[in-house]
Amino acid sequence: MSHASVPAGKYNADNPAPHHFGHHFESAEHEFSSAKQGMWLFMVTEVLMIGAIFVGYLLFRLRFPEAFHEAHKELNVKLGALNTVILIISSATMVLGVTAAQRGNNRRSIGMLITTIFLGGCFCLVKYFEYTHKFHEGIFPGGLYHFEGLTVPHAPLFFSFYFVMTGIHAFHVVVGMCLITWIITRIKRGQISKEFFTPVELVGFYWHFVDLVWIFLFPLLYLLG
Amino acid sequence: MSNSHDNHGHGSHGEGHGHYIIPDATIYKTLGALLVLTGITVGLSFVHLGTWNFVVGMLVAAMKAYLVASIFMNLSHDDKSNSVIFVSGFFFLAIFIGLTAPDFLFRGDIFTEGKQIMLPVKGVSQFKRPWEPTPEIVAHGKAIFMQQCVSCHGPEGKGDGPAAAALVPHPRNFTSADGWGNGRKPSQIFKTLKEGRPGTGMASFATIPAEDRWTLAHYVASLGPNVLKDTPEDLKAAGVDTSKDTLGDTEAPSIPITAAMKILDAETAKDGLKGNIKPGHDDLEGYGERVEARTFNPNL
Amino acid sequence: MAHTAEAHGDNYLNHEKGLWSWMTTVDHKRIGLMYLASVCFFFFLGGIFALIIRLNLMHSGHPVVDANTYNKLMTYHGAIMVFLVIIPAIPASIGNFVLPMMLGAKDVAFPKLNLASYYIYLAGATFACLALFLGGADTGWTFYTPYSIRTGGGVILVIFGAFVAGFSSILTGLNFIVTIQKLRAPGLTWNRLPLLLWALYATSIIQVLATPVLAITLVLLIFEHVFKVGIFDPALGGDPVLFQHFFWFYSHPAVYIMILPAMGVISEIIPVFSRKPIFGYRAIALASFGIALVAFIVWGHHLFVSGQSELANFVFSLLTMFVAIPTGVKVFSWVGTMYKGSIRFNAPMLYALGFIELFTIGGLTGVFLATLAIDVHLTDTYFVIAHFHYVMVGGTIMGFVGGMHYWFPKVTGKLYNETVAMWAFISIIIGFNLTFFPQFIAGTEGMPRRYWSQLPEFDLWNTLSTVGSWFLLLGFLMVAWNMIKSAKSGPAAGDNPWRALTLEWQSKSPPPHDNFGPTTPTVTHWPYEYKGANV
Repeated sequence: MSHASVPAGKYNADNPAPHHFGHHFESAEHEFSSAKQGMWLFMVTEVLMIGAIFVGYLLFRLRFPEAFHEAHKELNVKLGALNTVILIISSATMVLGVTAAQRGNNRRSIGMLITTIFLGGCFCLVKYFEYTHKFHEGIFPGGLYHFEGLTVPHAPLFFSFYFVMTGIHAFHVVVGMCLITWIITRIKRGQISKEFFTPVELVGFYWHFVDLVWIFLFPLLYLLG
Repeated sequence: MSNSHDNHGHGSHGEGHGHYIIPDATIYKTLGALLVLTGITVGLSFVHLGTWNFVVGMLVAAMKAYLVASIFMNLSHDDKSNSVIFVSGFFFLAIFIGLTAPDFLFRGDIFTEGKQIMLPVKGVSQFKRPWEPTPEIVAHGKAIFMQQCVSCHGPEGKGDGPAAAALVPHPRNFTSADGWGNGRKPSQIFKTLKEGRPGTGMASFATIPAEDRWTLAHYVASLGPNVLKDTPEDLKAAGVDTSKDTLGDTEAPSIPITAAMKILDAETAKDGLKGNIKPGHDDLEGYGERVEARTFNPNL
Repeated sequence: MAHTAEAHGDNYLNHEKGLWSWMTTVDHKRIGLMYLASVCFFFFLGGIFALIIRLNLMHSGHPVVDANTYNKLMTYHGAIMVFLVIIPAIPASIGNFVLPMMLGAKDVAFPKLNLASYYIYLAGATFACLALFLGGADTGWTFYTPYSIRTGGGVILVIFGAFVAGFSSILTGLNFIVTIQKLRAPGLTWNRLPLLLWALYATSIIQVLATPVLAITLVLLIFEHVFKVGIFDPALGGDPVLFQHFFWFYSHPAVYIMILPAMGVISEIIPVFSRKPIFGYRAIALASFGIALVAFIVWGHHLFVSGQSELANFVFSLLTMFVAIPTGVKVFSWVGTMYKGSIRFNAPMLYALGFIELFTIGGLTGVFLATLAIDVHLTDTYFVIAHFHYVMVGGTIMGFVGGMHYWFPKVTGKLYNETVAMWAFISIIIGFNLTFFPQFIAGTEGMPRRYWSQLPEFDLWNTLSTVGSWFLLLGFLMVAWNMIKSAKSGPAAGDNPWRALTLEWQSKSPPPHDNFGPTTPTVTHWPYEYKGANV
């Protein structure tokens, strides 16, 4: 918690600072389990927030089954599957990074976290190509849609959901990459040790959650339309 | 003190520093399982199982989610309360969709009542010049008749449908030339369909798009002893521009809710509802009448 | 005053000095006070809008503002009162101050997050108020589509403000849940948890579970403006009624975010001033959770005339009736607590009694509105306005002001002036009933809500209502004056002037920076054992 008193440059990834837990906790363990519970509660809010758009998507899909079926064929299954594989692997590298930090192996942890950021970047790149291809064809959300190849009524609604859902997901990926960068700098400053790895584990949870969302998005949008 | 420890939920963390660290082998096995499951979902999407595609796809996704949550997110070795917290999110999501669906899918309006009363898609027309009867147009009218009219007018249009007995006056017998209030020409039948016949059981069927209503009018006219034809003046009176091939958007579709929304939408878009009521001390006289009028005329 | 300050030595108010120390504080007590100041500011701002609205409706044919201004005033009154006043009023101000102290904790679980929540709240408020200068919003606080998609851009800022303020609410709820779960003092078992904390726990659950849905709804609404996604736009094939489902999935539970903490405050005040153990402790605690759960399954009663399906109308009407059960349990338990108690009519108790009266009227008229057939006639009339003001002002604000009086000695170390407080209460209770009871009558006679001008037939009720609003203003000004003056120069209160048993009163008044000094308090008894307890 209070690292302000640590002189700059004294601690680093190989020589981390001792951790002082907050004055209102009984022990470091107590602080850790509280922080973890807070993180789970935060993820519940994410479940409700992203889940609400899923609810909207499912309802419209039941109302306009044909339009959604026709529209989903426009999505590129290969790119979607590629992104699924990328995110799943990034989740694994994230766990490897977290367990390395838990064992006190900060060097390996940094390596794994950088790999995770790289994979997150690949995901965003693939997403960028998918988006630009769609824009090029004239596939935009709702009212801006002007794709000639598919004029089924209500098809633009499918793409509204596609862009909103994947867009919000991509935003979470970018936030996740920023958070991982933040914990890498904390490791480098020697603020993470095998006695104190709370931020690493919590950011890990966040990253897995982003993966979880994609696990549902991919079949719903690309495969089952 | 021991009591408070129980309540702090220290249970699974009580034993010193024994934080569970996931072994690397478990991570690799889970990764493998997730990739295999991804392959299965992609593969299954090419097999056509009908609605089962969706069920199976979602089951596989749920299995993947379970693996990520229980192993990567370590819920299986964590405090039980965290699992409860996470699962509660999905429980409340289920409430959300479970109670929205009874409305969204059972609205009883254009989306569930069949094609005949679907809103016409702008610029898409099924028939050219629907005011001129062709065999196709009459056949289309018959199809609508069989859905919308038979309950009162009967399958042969003799006014002897199942509901006819309860109606006073009785529903019109289309095979007879007698007693037609508005007349028997298609344009006159069209008018009856649009406006209904006040004081009788004949309601307005303005909810059926105008083009479909013309086909229905032709079918009803065809049931009569002799088929009357519309003159250009008749058509003009019915609002048809005979120089064009289609009806165009001559009528605002009147369908419960959706149509109302559409009209509301158009009106707010015109900026017409804003700023037209301005107070001023000089026109406070006669204020009562103005308010009276306003309650009936939304445009004032 | 120097004398008392010395006698109490170091406390949270003088622990650090200067504006900067307040702005950067992570002390839950100071953050609670900053919330209190902000909430009171917005309460007066929203109140001024309400007074202008009432003035405009006083006599038919004598408007004081033009119709467009009226629509904006009405929107701002609603949005400010809901999002910036009654949602944070009790949890974020009183709750922040009292919750850790009742637990015997030194702070909330995440103190920095707590400060962040406050600044997020301020940021949300700033965005919403900025819109005032940029065309404003005229949609009403509910932002119904499709009008909210078509109207001017000012509404985007208000929506964004509500979105940001929502995160403050989520993070406060999250913080409170973890604090109650993890930071209870030794001996403070679940069965000894004060009822305010049960209520705040239930509130926090709603905040964490429901607010995210509002957040995404508002994001989608902004997307409707910017990207024309059309999910709620009928012109693009979307469904405006779905927006109402999304909106009320949050906003109905939000009503319980507003009322549950007030119920908690009342449950604390009544046993203290009746000198009797609370009647039905477990029933009240469970009822808080019952209300929180039922809150999530009744939202559709806001859509009875929106074109919702008959099936859904039937289901929601039935489910809504269940709300009456846990709320009834609470009201009966409070009355049971007072029965044969030795009641002291101090200001907090007066507000508690006012709460019971007004909330009961508000709650019972809610049963009328839940009944489908009656609701069709009463929807969008002043009956609805009167109903929710009885619940929200008569409930939440009564609890809030009662709580302010109750914990005033703990917060400031001073006593407020009991006579002024009593007259203020009288003015408020008369003013309140005069303002809102005529609206029930006008509503049943068909007076529509949200109209800029009304028919002359309703002049009597409108005039009464407007005059009542002035009494309300007078009462609240007296409360404010009493609080400010007493905080400056009131007599010293002592540590526990009410002889209450909950933990916060076992500390000094005002409490030291770390709440209880070096020792951690240990709880050995239930907090409502008043019989024979001479603390």
